[in-house]
Amino acid sequence: MAATPDSVKKLVALGFSVTVERGAGVGSGIEDAAYEAAGATLGDAAAVWGGSDVVVKVRPPSHGEVATLRAGTLLVSLLQPERDEALPGLIAARRASAIALERIPRISRAQKMDVLSSMANLAGYRAVIEATQHFQRTFGAQVTAAGTIPPARVLVIGAGVAGLAAVAAARALGAEVRAFDTRPATKEQIESLGAAYLNVEVKEDADGGGGYAKEMSAAFLAAEVALFRAQAAEVDIIVTTALVPGKRAPILLPDEVVQALKPGSVIVDLAAEQGGNCSACVPGEVVVKGGVTIVGLTDLPSRMASSASRLFATNVVHLLQELGGGAAFRIDRESDVVRPALVVHDGEVLPRPPPPKAGAPAAPKPAAKVDVPPAPASKGSLRPPPAEHLKPAQQNIRSPTRLAWGTTVGGIVLILVLFVAGRFAPRDFLQHSTVFILACFVGWQVIWSVTPALHTPLMSVTNAISGIIIIGGMLEVGSRLDASSVLGASAALFAAINIAGGFLVTARMLRMFHRGRE
Amino acid sequence: MKEGVTTVAYLVAGVLFIRSLGSLSKQDTARRGSAFGAVGMAVAVAITAAAWAARGVDNWVTPSVLVAALVVGGAFGASLARRVEMTSMPELVAILHSFVGLAAVLVGFASYLAPAVASAELVGAERTVHLVEVAVGIAVGALTFTGSIIAWGKLRGTISGKPLLLGTRHILNGTAASAVVLLCVPIAMAQGTAGMPYLVGIAILAGLLGIHLVMAIGGADMPVVVSLLNSYSGWAAAASGFVLANDLLIVTGALVGSSGAILSIIMCRAMNRSILSVVFGGFGTGDTKEAAAAPTGDVHEMKLDGVATLLCDAKKIIVVPGYGMAVARAQAAVFELTQALRKRGSEVHFAIHPVAGRLPGHMNVLLAEAGVPYNLVLEMDEINRDFAKTDAVLVIGANDIVNPGALEDPSSAIYGMPVLEVWKAKTVVVLKRGMAAGYAGVENPLFYLANTRMLFGDAKKSIDGLVAAVKGR
Repeated sequence: MAATPDSVKKLVALGFSVTVERGAGVGSGIEDAAYEAAGATLGDAAAVWGGSDVVVKVRPPSHGEVATLRAGTLLVSLLQPERDEALPGLIAARRASAIALERIPRISRAQKMDVLSSMANLAGYRAVIEATQHFQRTFGAQVTAAGTIPPARVLVIGAGVAGLAAVAAARALGAEVRAFDTRPATKEQIESLGAAYLNVEVKEDADGGGGYAKEMSAAFLAAEVALFRAQAAEVDIIVTTALVPGKRAPILLPDEVVQALKPGSVIVDLAAEQGGNCSACVPGEVVVKGGVTIVGLTDLPSRMASSASRLFATNVVHLLQELGGGAAFRIDRESDVVRPALVVHDGEVLPRPPPPKAGAPAAPKPAAKVDVPPAPASKGSLRPPPAEHLKPAQQNIRSPTRLAWGTTVGGIVLILVLFVAGRFAPRDFLQHSTVFILACFVGWQVIWSVTPALHTPLMSVTNAISGIIIIGGMLEVGSRLDASSVLGASAALFAAINIAGGFLVTARMLRMFHRGRE
Repeated sequence: MKEGVTTVAYLVAGVLFIRSLGSLSKQDTARRGSAFGAVGMAVAVAITAAAWAARGVDNWVTPSVLVAALVVGGAFGASLARRVEMTSMPELVAILHSFVGLAAVLVGFASYLAPAVASAELVGAERTVHLVEVAVGIAVGALTFTGSIIAWGKLRGTISGKPLLLGTRHILNGTAASAVVLLCVPIAMAQGTAGMPYLVGIAILAGLLGIHLVMAIGGADMPVVVSLLNSYSGWAAAASGFVLANDLLIVTGALVGSSGAILSIIMCRAMNRSILSVVFGGFGTGDTKEAAAAPTGDVHEMKLDGVATLLCDAKKIIVVPGYGMAVARAQAAVFELTQALRKRGSEVHFAIHPVAGRLPGHMNVLLAEAGVPYNLVLEMDEINRDFAKTDAVLVIGANDIVNPGALEDPSSAIYGMPVLEVWKAKTVVVLKRGMAAGYAGVENPLFYLANTRMLFGDAKKSIDGLVAAVKGR
């Protein structure tokens, strides 16, 4: 479903008036009334197709639906013109425009509109869920009185958006996960999700630009298959996600690898729609071969209709916002986001522009820009977060050696000074010095135990008690009103401000601290 | 009155002051601590007044002047304490430091002009020691006074928070300090009160030194400076104690001095600075390396609605307040938000960095004022481990204290400073007015991480909006 009540609200806020086909949300568990409450009007299919300036639909439209399009209407959909080559011509004949959502370029700015990333994320997650359905063991280790069950071992092939989502989901279920990708850049992302990174030792960078891996040489493919055969003996679940744009998916799991798997193992082939990475895969079906279950389902996102709708609808909102919103709506043929996806414009079928040059490796950037909480898989941006183990590189203000030297030397100097003072200074001075030094030590011991939360009250209390200097002022006031008395009285005045101010503000602050229930 | 009685009373007051500081170790006993201090002060003032009265009063002029001074000072202090906003606590603390410094200067001069010195009652070494004590008392007092006034101005914003860094500042400081020491010689030599001009010279030089030292310190380092001045005010009181040969003043001054010194050390550790470089001013600014390349990347902006959804979905939330929250006066709204989230079943805690705000423990006071129970407010060391298990972190008006560059980027000016490791949480929402750098002038890579969302706007308005949005669900 291409809209949710939330996305309808956002569209209305962007200045669109929204019509939803009656009953369209039922599959995603959304009642018509919810759309109405969000500000949409309900209409039948004819009203939607014939009466809108923008028509949004998930699946490609039927020829019959296209025939009802009004001139000037923009159709937004996963159009897939390479599957139905007549479609662009039909739309052009209606003098309408069409955007193929799957052709939104994989550049940073367009990530929030990238439906394929959103759906790949869900597919990766669902692949693991499907695997649990057919796998007869637990995923996480179970420690019971009857013995311990080891965790399932999962191999994920391809660490794109879908692969990373699968890694995260399998990890979350407690499985031991390893992931393979031809692009060395993915190592960090795989490891950040708690999985082991696998690669083969053939020098060849697989970054094909535009966010996909390119097709690899035969030698490389052979090395990969050898790796997978070795892995097959160890793992219980394999999830494959390897796609090459516009081509049949490469066969990474030939029959020999499938045979090497233990009976009861599960392969989930996310490339099934493009023919499958597994030779035994039957697109759209679940087959069992030699005890190994091979899941070739092609409708994984639809099995989570509610989540899929939500992500799809948010992507669509962002696209329509990019097109200027309701008030300033305009299809900009020069836009680097819109142009590659624009298949038909005002009745003219546009040629597909060449893909952007493989510049910055925007490649493994998952759909993190969507305005929803990031999926666990969305680690990795231009700046990786600091590593787990980093500790602040503190200057050793109190390193034990320096502290020991400092106190020893300082202590000796102080004692020498005191001895000199003891030889020459008057007795009174020495007595006061003794009191002073002892008081410093007492203060030192007492203050360290003050909780940091009370440091401000501590400061205001010390403010108040340093007003003890009031005694000095009072003592200097003599019986005659001379300079000394005036100075003493002024000192007492300022000290009195400190005492009253300090204690009262402390009391005021401390009254505010109270304990609550946890 | 017997001198023994006074001594015992001073002992009682001293013990009460120690108990007062000791009781602040826990919130449960803190109020008792404040009461101990007040009782101790009352005892000290009462016994001094009694001793003063026992000397015999032959006229009513000086007693009434003294009483008037106490009443006026007390009333003024009380009204200050009642009116001050909790957000401006740092200013109040700074100005109170300056009063102690000023009082120490006044006591020093009064003591110098008092008959005992003028009439050459003291002779030989005793006289020299006494005069040096007077000089030290005046110097420390003057330094504390002017330094605190400058700190007060910087905290209020009347003086620019930018550090004033003269190229010759170390030479200037050195010259002023040695001149103060040298001026003690003519004072000790002078007969009667003939050394007065030199004493005034010391007061002026030390005052200028105080101004210069604090002017050289930047806005972010204010917590250290305020703690340091707290310490100085204690030493000033102790020096007066030496001048007057009064043990209670010495003890109390030493307690306050150590307290401020410890706070300074705690602050220095929290900012990875060495205490010596703070004392000598202009620290961490002279040797700043060329700023690291500005972090590049996309900032993920999020609207109010999205943040509300995110918070509603989060089970475990940590709020990191910074000075920006105090500036926007958003603490009450923040508490309301956490109440609403807790009602929905989320677990909400606060994480406080030691140097958040402008005063040690400032954030705790602001949160307490808003009504946040103190057991929900945790220190950095207590909570840093928990971020990895947290769904959402709300950073409100804080910047440098959540900068991952402090851990990973040796070229960063704040490299090595312990920080709240918020980025380990699932999502971090940063409330900020714009993309400006923090007080340390360091770019924050946190804003460009994949799990960070920015909510731009005034903190108070944003939080109010979040409260409404969360309550509406």
